[in-house]
Amino acid sequence: MDDQDRKKVILTLRWTAIIVTSYLILFGRGRVTDLHLSHILIAVYILSNILLTFLPKTLFSNLKFFYPLVLFDTGIVSFGMHLSEKMTTDFYLVFFLIIIFASVSRNFKLLMVIGGITALLYGFLLYSWGLLSIEQGSSYILRIPFIFIMTAFYGYIVQTLTKEKRQELTLSEGKYRGLFENANDGIILLRDSPLQIADVNREVEKATGYAKKELFRKEIFDLFEPGESEKVRNYFKEVIEKGEGRADCLSLMRKDGSSLEVDLSTKRIDLGDESFYQMIFRDLTEQRKLEKRIRESKRNLEAIFDGIRDQLSIQAPDYQILRVNRAVVENYKSSFRELIGRKCYEVYFQRPLPCEKCPVSVTIETKQPATSIIKIPEGTTTLQIFSYPILDEKGDLASVIEYIKDITEEQRLQEQLIQSEKLAGIGILTSGVTHEINNPLSGIIGMAEIALEEDDLSKNKDYLKDILNCAQRITEIVKGLKSYSRAAKKEDQCPLDLNEVVEESLKMVRLAIKPPSVEVIKKFQTLGKIQANMGEIQQVFTNLITNAFQAMDGNGGKLILSTRSFKDLVEVKVIDHGMGIPPKYLSQIFDPFFTTKKLGEGTGLGLNIVYRIVTKYEGTIDVESKEQVGTTFTIKFPIRRVEA
Amino acid sequence: MSKKVLVVDDEEVIRKFLRIHLAKLGYGVTEAADGEQAIEQLGKDDFDLIICDIMMPKKSGWEVIKEVKLNPKTKSIPLIVLTAKIEDSDMFKGYDLGVNYYMTKPFTKAQLLYGLRLMFDEVPEEVRV
Repeated sequence: MDDQDRKKVILTLRWTAIIVTSYLILFGRGRVTDLHLSHILIAVYILSNILLTFLPKTLFSNLKFFYPLVLFDTGIVSFGMHLSEKMTTDFYLVFFLIIIFASVSRNFKLLMVIGGITALLYGFLLYSWGLLSIEQGSSYILRIPFIFIMTAFYGYIVQTLTKEKRQELTLSEGKYRGLFENANDGIILLRDSPLQIADVNREVEKATGYAKKELFRKEIFDLFEPGESEKVRNYFKEVIEKGEGRADCLSLMRKDGSSLEVDLSTKRIDLGDESFYQMIFRDLTEQRKLEKRIRESKRNLEAIFDGIRDQLSIQAPDYQILRVNRAVVENYKSSFRELIGRKCYEVYFQRPLPCEKCPVSVTIETKQPATSIIKIPEGTTTLQIFSYPILDEKGDLASVIEYIKDITEEQRLQEQLIQSEKLAGIGILTSGVTHEINNPLSGIIGMAEIALEEDDLSKNKDYLKDILNCAQRITEIVKGLKSYSRAAKKEDQCPLDLNEVVEESLKMVRLAIKPPSVEVIKKFQTLGKIQANMGEIQQVFTNLITNAFQAMDGNGGKLILSTRSFKDLVEVKVIDHGMGIPPKYLSQIFDPFFTTKKLGEGTGLGLNIVYRIVTKYEGTIDVESKEQVGTTFTIKFPIRRVEA
Repeated sequence: MSKKVLVVDDEEVIRKFLRIHLAKLGYGVTEAADGEQAIEQLGKDDFDLIICDIMMPKKSGWEVIKEVKLNPKTKSIPLIVLTAKIEDSDMFKGYDLGVNYYMTKPFTKAQLLYGLRLMFDEVPEEVRV
């Protein structure tokens, strides 16, 4: 019933009550004590109802207004009955009886029936007493509808109120039922002693596999795994003593016998003189599985982290060490505790500030991976440091992984490799030189023997000329060898003119292998000098020129050696018109041990060494090749400005 | 009739002193400066001995030897190799191909005479050193 209807009904009922009461006072009176007061009362009653019509309808739902109104009406009606003087004690009794009926009544229709019966009963009593037929009989007759209307008035009021209360209750019951049923945790309501299940929510049914009906009146202990019964009994003992309690990792037993690990929280609720226990549990099975998986993967990651024999550490963007692996701890003969929280440059390099070439600084600035090679000044250790960013969800730098690799040994091996390839080169050279020298040497020996047997001086002169000729050829070869050994011996770097180096290399190759009939074209420009080790650069060009000659073996062609200088670079091209490199091999030619030569004829290291040496001096090497047309190697080195 | 020797070497001075030596010993000498010339000469004349270098332009000594051994007309001519290739592997390769005597440079007259003696079963007195 909405507020509008409610207001209307109340006003109507009051009008009726006013009319009946006024009637009772004005017409029923025999000996009115105070006529004046009677009129005032009726006027007040009417006025109150007129005033009420102007009041906002919402006010009628307000109990703070409604109860006083009812009290006011009861007072007025009672006072009116008193003023009419005809009212005897029995009528008062009937009036209060109606109020009592109305108060206890839950059913409006039943109340009206009771009101009707009361009115009839009272009418019958009046009649049997003969009061209806006397002179003032009308005032008695009026009492009958009065009873009825008053019943309706109070009945309606009480009815409305109780109905609302009930609605509110139902509403709030529904609300809490919803909360109860839809909770993500299992909730069990237990009766006290014995601890029997009174109610469960849907989550309990879902988690245990039991239906609600099956659980009713079941003792709570039966719901747990038998193995845990002592633990469970102790827990509930504590709950009963303290009124509440928590427990972790208890196992419930599902209907199918499987176990369900839960965290429990129980609290006593007192409802009137009965107390209940509300037990809330959370299913931990999934959570535990997840936790286990997380722990496992964490352990794995830690094992991998620690198992890596290179040094790994994670640093905050302020270089503070957050984590290190075992290799770091072992390397610095320290402990995890001592390292964590300190700055990496303090610990690793004993510096007050970050290192100059530190890749971590680069990563902190750019959020990009970085790497650099750092030579530890005192000592011979060379470290290659890699750094990788760890970004947070927003893409900001959370921390940096620093990966320190000791490449001292690797570098030493690389040097050794270059050295051994150099030795192999010397081997080839030696056999080439042997041939070159053996021919004139044979000439010298042969001619000398002939000269010894010959007495003719003019003939001998001719022979001696041949001998001298051969000896001079040997001298030339030895000269060439000297420059090669000089270059090979020199360890340090010095300014080099690549034109000279290329020239020397060509000479060497001509000595080492018998060059095919190839035309060599030199296109040299004046060049800036590069800073490098002579032997190594010569190794680059002897390897390339040797390859070029071998590529043109037997087919003639041209070998073009061109050099030029531009910007801060010098460029050397070695161009041959040989067989070319098949495209499928182009990506592999710089790989170590890659060779297309027969076993024993080539090591597969030549071009790899070339590549290593070129990159060592921050140079670049490119190759272009077309099968049956030829190959061009282009090498570029940066020019080193040498201070005068 | 004097025996005919084909001397193949790209080194002129070596051909020269071989020619002088062999002429003194009474052999007829024909020279070739490379492998192709050698094959050409072999086609023109019959020889009793071939003295051949290995590392030569155009056609190497190995190829010359193979051709000689494949040709029924020439395959029985004794072969002396005269080379700067001093590795054992080269020597074995030579003997496998049918070379009769493998001589490495530098060499002396005594070695040459020893080789000739092996080929012709002639034992010149002065060689017995």
